[in-house]
Amino acid sequence: MINFDPSVRSTLSNVQPSPANPENVGVPKSDFLNAIEAAGRYVSKVDDLQQASDASIQDLLTGKNNDITAVVSAVAKADVSFKVLVGVRNKLIEAYKQTMNMPL
Amino acid sequence: MKVHNVFGPVDIAVSGMRAQGQHMEVISSNIANARTADAGQGQPYRRLETILRAQAEGISPVVVDQVVPDQSPFESIFDPGNPLADPTGNVAMPNVHLPAEMMNLTIASRSYQANAAILKRYQKMVETTLELLR
Repeated sequence: MINFDPSVRSTLSNVQPSPANPENVGVPKSDFLNAIEAAGRYVSKVDDLQQASDASIQDLLTGKNNDITAVVSAVAKADVSFKVLVGVRNKLIEAYKQTMNMPL
Repeated sequence: MKVHNVFGPVDIAVSGMRAQGQHMEVISSNIANARTADAGQGQPYRRLETILRAQAEGISPVVVDQVVPDQSPFESIFDPGNPLADPTGNVAMPNVHLPAEMMNLTIASRSYQANAAILKRYQKMVETTLELLR
C-alpha cells in the first residue's frame, strides 16, 4: 500500500515544498504524499465504522435494539479498523521523521 | 454473504453467538413452561426445538432456521385434585424433560463461549499482524 519512493530528490522537494521556489508548483505529487492522502481518505471510512458502533451502543442503551451481539460486532470492527489506521499513520510519521533527520 | 475479508471471522463468530443466544431463549421457555398444563388452547405446553442452518454453502455464518414444536407425546401424571384432570384423574403435562433441557443449556452456553473465544482469538491474531507495522 505504501509505495515509498526511495528517490530522495523527488521526495524531499515535495514533502516540504519551499514557497520561494516556484518550480515546484507543476511537479507531480510524490508517492509519499499519495500515501498520506490515501491514509487521509481512510479516516472517513474508519470514522463511519466508529459512528456505526456508537449508534449500535446507543440503540442498545435506549432499548431500540436488544441485540447485544450486534454491538460486539460493530465495536470489534471499529476497533480493528482504527488500529490499522493508527498503525499506518505511525508508520508514515516515522518515515517522515526519518527523512527529516537525514543528515544533509 | 462475502466472507473473504478481514471481518469475515468476526461476522461468523457473532452469528454463532446470536444463534446460541436464541437457542438459549428457546431452552429458557421450555424450562419455564416445564409444568404448564394449559398453554392457551387447553393443551399442555409443547416443547420447542431450535433448528440451526448455515446461511450459504461453504464458509458461512449460522442462522436459526426455525423453532419447531417437539411432537413427542405429553407426559401424563396422576393428579385427581387438578381442575384440568380427566375423569380418571390424569393430567397431561408438557413433554419437557428437565435433565435433557439442562444438557441442552450446557451445550448452548459452551457453544456460545466457543464462539466468543473465536472472536477474542481472531482479534489477537489481527493485533499480531498489526504488530508487524511497528
